[in-house]
Amino acid sequence: MYGDLTAVDNLSFTVQDSETFGLLGPNGAGKTTTINMLVGVLEPDSGQITVNNTTDPSQTQVRMQIGNAPQALALYEDLTGEENLAFFGRLYGLSGARLKERVNWAVKVARLEDRRTDQAKKYSGGMKRRLNLAIALVHDPPVLLLDEPTVGVDPQSRNFIFETIEKLREEGRTIIYTTHYMEEAERLCDRVAIIDHGQLLAIGTVDELIEKFGGHTQITVDFATSPKLPTNLEGSLDGTHFSMATPKPLEVLNTLANSKGKFHQVKIERPDLERVFLNLTGRSLRDQ
Amino acid sequence: MNTVITLATKDLRLLLRDKATTFWVIGFPLLMAVFFGSVFSGMGDSMSGMRLILVDQDQSESSIQFVEELGKSTALRTVALPLDSAQQRVRIGKASAYLLIPKGYGTAQGFGGSAKAKLELGIDPARQVERGYLQGIIMQSYFALLQRQFTDPALMKKHLRASLDSLRADGETANELGPLTSFLGSMDQFYSWLDTVPKTTAADSAAAGNDAFMSGPELDIVPMTADRAFPKSSYEITFPSSLMWALIAVTAAFAVSIVQERTRGTFLRLRIAPLTRTHILAGKGIACFASSLVVCILLLIVGGLVFKVRLDNTIMLLTAVLCSVFCFCGLMMLISVMGKTEQAVGGISWAVLLVFSMTGGGMIPLAVMPGWMRTISNFSPVKWGIYSVEGAIWRGFSWGEMMLPLGVLIAIGLVTFTIGVTILARTDN
Repeated sequence: MYGDLTAVDNLSFTVQDSETFGLLGPNGAGKTTTINMLVGVLEPDSGQITVNNTTDPSQTQVRMQIGNAPQALALYEDLTGEENLAFFGRLYGLSGARLKERVNWAVKVARLEDRRTDQAKKYSGGMKRRLNLAIALVHDPPVLLLDEPTVGVDPQSRNFIFETIEKLREEGRTIIYTTHYMEEAERLCDRVAIIDHGQLLAIGTVDELIEKFGGHTQITVDFATSPKLPTNLEGSLDGTHFSMATPKPLEVLNTLANSKGKFHQVKIERPDLERVFLNLTGRSLRDQ
Repeated sequence: MNTVITLATKDLRLLLRDKATTFWVIGFPLLMAVFFGSVFSGMGDSMSGMRLILVDQDQSESSIQFVEELGKSTALRTVALPLDSAQQRVRIGKASAYLLIPKGYGTAQGFGGSAKAKLELGIDPARQVERGYLQGIIMQSYFALLQRQFTDPALMKKHLRASLDSLRADGETANELGPLTSFLGSMDQFYSWLDTVPKTTAADSAAAGNDAFMSGPELDIVPMTADRAFPKSSYEITFPSSLMWALIAVTAAFAVSIVQERTRGTFLRLRIAPLTRTHILAGKGIACFASSLVVCILLLIVGGLVFKVRLDNTIMLLTAVLCSVFCFCGLMMLISVMGKTEQAVGGISWAVLLVFSMTGGGMIPLAVMPGWMRTISNFSPVKWGIYSVEGAIWRGFSWGEMMLPLGVLIAIGLVTFTIGVTILARTDN
């Protein structure tokens, strides 16, 4: 609770080991608040958070296992990229050769080899975002909390961040990834929790969510001339424009092809998480 | 402890990377000290050689001896001028003061004169420090001369006879003069008899107790009064102030750095790291403390080596600096939670600290403040900081006298630090 506002309300979920778990929701849905509770910065008014059988996430041994890349660029702009990494590495107990090794690794991950001794304030937005992620990784944590890690970056850096996360996923790290971009959740996450106004609306794999809440595939066909369609075919025909929502899009397309009508344009829209969110809330995720 | 040192090192590195802040922390206070120190010393106010104009209107043997005696003082640079020129030079600040020895001084200084020897010291009322200093030197010279007269029979006889002649010339009646002329006559005979007594060695005199009698009561002059309790140079006033300017700059810089950590998200990152809040605050406090201490010591070293500021009372001086630094670290913590943005905290810190500086002697030296301002200055930590540092440099404070300023500094530091940390903890949660 923040005053009268309930930021997170009766939210309950479990994240498995080595799983990439997405928290999908619009801005203000309660994703960052959830992350802050997971690392013990905020204490829930009621309920419990358990990390590796420990109910107090602020304990040192729990925090040592977690790497967090906050949504805001949390780095020291007057320090160099290398100094930022070394500083946070030391806070997590690294020193000597191990620290050097991890800093070198993180510099490579962030693709800052040529700029490692430059002050962070001289970096581009994408470079800062990559450094922000690398700082979360420098102490080699098995659990990663990535809070909107692609906000405000160029497509190239964004793609690079995706590739990095996919590699981390392959390494078997547990990742909790918050985003309001459904494409990111679809591409990266094994399971997704959709939250809005602090409440959990749905949880499952992307396919499960689409199947359960996405509705049917939308088929839209523009014919060259007005077709003669079978009377038992549901859908609406307006002159040469036909549209229909169906769970069996291939069968419908086959029927339309047999109607002797000549296709001018065919569009098949598989439901996505955007549609899932729309169906669950009546609002579009992108409009938030 | 390693974690705290890591945090503190980071803050010190950030402080040094910020060129503007580094200037305000080190460069500006040093410039202030040197600039104002040289301006004040250039105006002839150097207290190691205050310029005193002597106006001898009497031109008697006594007044000439007095002028010579004043000229021997290493604390003064004397020059003889007519009264109008002397007044003019004092008005335009070319000299600290003038001393008028009026006609009749020599006569009045003798025995039985009807008037008391009078002197006139012309000085700007604002120059309270110099006035007190000059009074001390003038009285010291006067009594030194008087003592010599008593111990020199020839000189004494001369004075006695001059006094008797003066009384007779004034036409006093025999009845009125009877006891006085009788006394002075006896004194004259006594000093004449002394001339007939064979001279003894100093050891014999001392053994017989004659030396003590002839020299009069021994006056134990503590050099602190004239030497320690006043600044030797204007730099001994400007350098303590510059220390406070440095502390103000460090305080403002670190107060802003705490709010920067919060607004830029690094504070959250620190809180997520395996650290306690104590670690984070200790790191910040140690960095602030260390940088303040280093800057103060640097300024004092420059002051001592280049501008001859007295640093001989090292332990007391270091204690004063440590307590001042502690006080300002507490203030830093409180100011850091007085605003939510860097701009707000930056503005508040300079506003608050400038007022403290203005009222506490950072701009106008405490020694020359008018009374009402001195009363207000009691509410400023800058005053207590300067007071304690000056106490160790030139005020000649004993440890007992130091307890008050040091106690006030520690109390302010403790209270403000506690309030700051409490508010920070509440806002975080």
